[in-house]
Amino acid sequence: MKLTRRDFIKTSAASSAAAAAGISLPGQAQNLVTDAERTQLKWAKAPCRFCGVGCGVNVATRDNQVVATHADINAPVNRGVNCVKGYFLSKIMYGEDRLTQPLLRMTNGQYDKHGEFTPVSWDEAFDVMAEKYKAVLREKGPQAVGMFGSGQWTVWEGYAANKLMKAGFRSNNIDPNARHCMASAVAGFIRTFGIDEPMGCYDDIEAADAFVLWGSNMAEMHPILWTRVTDRRLSAPHVKVAVLSTFEHRSFELADMPVIFTPQADLAILNYIARYIIENGRVDWDFVNKHVRFKEGKTLIGYGLRPEHRLELMADNADDPGGANDIDFERYREFLQQYDADYVSQLSGVPKRRLDELAELYADPDTKVMSFWTMGFNQHTRGVWANNMIYNIHLLTGKISTPGNSPFSLTGQPSACGTAREVGTFSHRLPADMVVMNPGHREFAEKTWNVPKGTIQAQPGAHAVLQNRMLKDGEINAYWVQCNNNVQAAANLVEETYPGYRNPANFIVVSDAYPTVTTELADLILPTAMWVEKEGAYGNAERRTQFWHQMVTAPGESRSDLWQLMEFSKRFTTDEVWPRELLDANPEFRGKTLYDVLYRNGNVDAFGLEEVDGEFPNDEARHFGFYVQKGLFEEYARFGRDHGHDLAPFERYHQERGLRWPVVDGEETRWRYNGEYDPYVEEGRDIQFYGHPDGKAVIFAVPYEPPAESPSEAYPLWLVTGRVLEHWHSGSMTRRVPELHRAFPQAVVYLHPEDARELGVRRGSEVRIISQRGEMNSRVETRGRNRVPRGLVFVPWFDASQLINKVTLDATDPISKQTDFKKCACRIEPV
Amino acid sequence: MFQKLIRFLKAFWHIFSRPSVYFSLGFLTVGGFIGGVLFWGGFNTALEATNTETFCVSCHEMRDNVFQEIQPTIHFTNRSGVRATCPDCHVPHDWTDKIARKMQASKEVWGKIFGTIDTREKFLEHRLEMAAREWRRFEANDSLECRNCHEEAAMDLTRQSPRAAAAHERYLIEGDKTCINCHKGIAHELPNMAGIEGWE
Amino acid sequence: MQRLILIGIALLCASLAVFAAEGDLDALRGNVPLLQERTPEPLYPVENQDLRRSRAYPMQPPTIPHKIDNYQVDLNANRCMSCHSRSRVAQSQAPMISVTHYMDRDGNFLAELSPRRYFCNQCHVPQTTAPTQVDNTFVDIEELLRQPQRNGGGG
Repeated sequence: MKLTRRDFIKTSAASSAAAAAGISLPGQAQNLVTDAERTQLKWAKAPCRFCGVGCGVNVATRDNQVVATHADINAPVNRGVNCVKGYFLSKIMYGEDRLTQPLLRMTNGQYDKHGEFTPVSWDEAFDVMAEKYKAVLREKGPQAVGMFGSGQWTVWEGYAANKLMKAGFRSNNIDPNARHCMASAVAGFIRTFGIDEPMGCYDDIEAADAFVLWGSNMAEMHPILWTRVTDRRLSAPHVKVAVLSTFEHRSFELADMPVIFTPQADLAILNYIARYIIENGRVDWDFVNKHVRFKEGKTLIGYGLRPEHRLELMADNADDPGGANDIDFERYREFLQQYDADYVSQLSGVPKRRLDELAELYADPDTKVMSFWTMGFNQHTRGVWANNMIYNIHLLTGKISTPGNSPFSLTGQPSACGTAREVGTFSHRLPADMVVMNPGHREFAEKTWNVPKGTIQAQPGAHAVLQNRMLKDGEINAYWVQCNNNVQAAANLVEETYPGYRNPANFIVVSDAYPTVTTELADLILPTAMWVEKEGAYGNAERRTQFWHQMVTAPGESRSDLWQLMEFSKRFTTDEVWPRELLDANPEFRGKTLYDVLYRNGNVDAFGLEEVDGEFPNDEARHFGFYVQKGLFEEYARFGRDHGHDLAPFERYHQERGLRWPVVDGEETRWRYNGEYDPYVEEGRDIQFYGHPDGKAVIFAVPYEPPAESPSEAYPLWLVTGRVLEHWHSGSMTRRVPELHRAFPQAVVYLHPEDARELGVRRGSEVRIISQRGEMNSRVETRGRNRVPRGLVFVPWFDASQLINKVTLDATDPISKQTDFKKCACRIEPV
Repeated sequence: MFQKLIRFLKAFWHIFSRPSVYFSLGFLTVGGFIGGVLFWGGFNTALEATNTETFCVSCHEMRDNVFQEIQPTIHFTNRSGVRATCPDCHVPHDWTDKIARKMQASKEVWGKIFGTIDTREKFLEHRLEMAAREWRRFEANDSLECRNCHEEAAMDLTRQSPRAAAAHERYLIEGDKTCINCHKGIAHELPNMAGIEGWE
Repeated sequence: MQRLILIGIALLCASLAVFAAEGDLDALRGNVPLLQERTPEPLYPVENQDLRRSRAYPMQPPTIPHKIDNYQVDLNANRCMSCHSRSRVAQSQAPMISVTHYMDRDGNFLAELSPRRYFCNQCHVPQTTAPTQVDNTFVDIEELLRQPQRNGGGG
């Protein structure tokens, strides 16, 4: 029985009147239903919306609403367990203040940067936006437009955005928020192995004898992987867990070896372990001789600050931070000599005995070791080095690419791997590890996309931190932020981000489901569909690609990022955005819209609506008239097939609880580079690091160098920022779930009780936390889940009412351009 | 070190065991009395001085382990600011028991000199042994040091959370449990509790 | 239905009134302009009434209705289990942990708490008295079932 829209409005109006009067009317379509039918829910699978673990959940819907979620028993990642955030997924889409209409800053009916947010139609929104983009492109060219995307984009959203920016607008100024999250991990992988992403997988956990957490607090940030580590540790008594951090947190509850070290000294500890392995004759020579070569990295590489900063002027190699020379083993050994026990122990504050115990876990050939790290390593001004150094240790001992022996880089976002990395939404990347600097890669991309040769620019675009600086300097003037909250995330809000967004020369567009501090600074806000309001795909930290169907429709006029990108592309013709030479050489592209060029190119529109699963809605497919998601995915998959990144056919992912690429002959790959498991390893070879042409991985001789900023007399405390279990990133979803909000309602400053006494403050005292860049008010916490050492404070960043990024420093790793959110100097004053 | 101590004790005994040659009986009696008063005063002062938290945490073994652990607990900071210091719980208030406990404490001085728990690792190794000793003492004296502040008769159960009130009613007032049976680990971290009653 | 009404009201408000500038949109910011600092919310105490709360759906892990300050859960001891384990509930009168907590990854029942469920706080959290910043319009299934059946939407 179908209702017409008019009937529906009538019925719902009547029932809402009845509801208001407290009586219940029989519905117009009340059929005789059995009880079983009455209580039946419609269930479908989806990956969790939050972190990079990629848990499977089952989602129940009824009457176009999500009514329940639970952990998927069949999902290999989590087998029926979720963390508290995952269990409350049902509520994340129902915050009362969902954005449901485009909002434009206007005065007297006209766009005005200083105007007030006014509801407008999508047409009007895109009209104004296109006008701004066209003006900027005309006057300044493609380098003056920019886009800041996300590791929370679905695979096809990231892919569509990458095409729109790199081929459509011909600008490489597109970067994901994953830059803040795992850019150092990427650079580490590329330098050591020549190919991105972990070689192992979560199955390593059940095979390992020891776990070492390098700066990672998995208990709170990757809770479900932590359940697997806990399961292993408590099920097998011989298993050891070492936890290294600059303060004591929940992961220490499982630690056999708790290690607190001075910030930045992790670099020295890593070199100490390498030295220990060599000096104690524990090198796996067979492995090293066959599979490893050595390089020495350039030093004094600066801190990724603005070029005129004192520290950059002092840095000898700031212009070539990633440079390295070939060396031999003897030179590496000699290089390590300075990292002796006395020096490292004094620098790190870790007793020698503890250092040796830790080193022994790696050195002992009978202990299978899994190393985990996330933001502790990656958000580090020497993050790439730290990544290289952990591989050094695993390579020296041959503990890699076999079950249980696994250096494992965790990710923070649900599709940091799937979208940001594999799709290549970074300012220098193309899909499947290709890069814009490589002419062959550009040509491959142009062919695959059916765009003219020479469309893609060879120069890498602006990365996240540089984008904010260029906004401030008025060099990027048309800017689109999708699926993230960078005003709350990016460091140095007061000096860089804020003036950039409010620069009168700039037009800032922000797509989001909820009001955030980023939408506050926007000129145009676009209401956005989220999670199961659209069909999607995410890729987790173990290379697992997972799909879900759209299950409900988005409220009001919200539209998915994908719809927004594709619809906006209709507003441009090639003549407006491409240079004359390109069109002269390729006249068949004249007069076409970017939509036609990018999305009606014969690939993206290759699959008709008949292929869409009729069981589920698909708003984008219905709107554009073809199976958009499948078309985008299949075109994207061409980049990786036969190229080490093979993906299965589209439909298969709707059946499976995800598959780990490369998927060759229908089989996923669990351990890459290992001949037993990886079809890309040549016949007859046990291990082959095929990311480098010679099949070898690289051990890097890189030193300890001091952090960009350390405590001083005026700013005597270390400031470390991070997250909490109950909230995800900037909290825009989780803080709208009442149970999660009430579990951890606001940010606090974790302070040592004796430091508090010296400062004359106590638990609950209002304090001002001040750095050279800005200040923030908060309250002191001397109890609770984190125990900080004296001289260090920890502040979580999920709370929009306490913007700790006013205080943090925008120093980055000069190689990866990832910000160090873990180390800067501050002081605390009572208010 | 041990031999040095023996030599010192021998020399001391040599002088101490002989009758006085130079001093009169009167002098020795009066002097002895004055000396006794001084000694007693000093003894008590020393007793009091060692009976403070400041003294306890002057050893790094105490400062770095148990003192760090108590700071986030309710026995260190709470709404009314009445707090327990080390001796409140670990030294009996009654004089004879106090002296007995102090004599026991000399063993701890021995432990200090020989570094029995001078690292966190060693401390953790001995934690069960040390905690078990305290639990036994509390069980034997019906949690006397708890009751010095938390008197059962003075508890207003209606001011407690329902859960606490029910448990106190059932096990403390009507039952035969004593505080330490349920309240282990409230001021310091617990050792491995495998096999301990209530933690099976 | 309630949600539809709310959306309707939101749309109505949105079309009638214009939003003010910075600081007025994001309730989680407490409606304070970005460069200003306000007095932070106080540290809210944890609800300690031992009253069970209703769950949003059957699979939701119950929130903890009491304080858990300094409850030790680590390699040495599990304070939660000293009341909530099967063998302790007779004495403590606390609810027993769910049967799922005795299952390993492969669904086999174990003799004791499954190690993968050891850290209770990963799913179960106490609730402070903090006021809600933004209401949530999630509709309980019971409420949906009570409503007259309707077609529509895309579900």
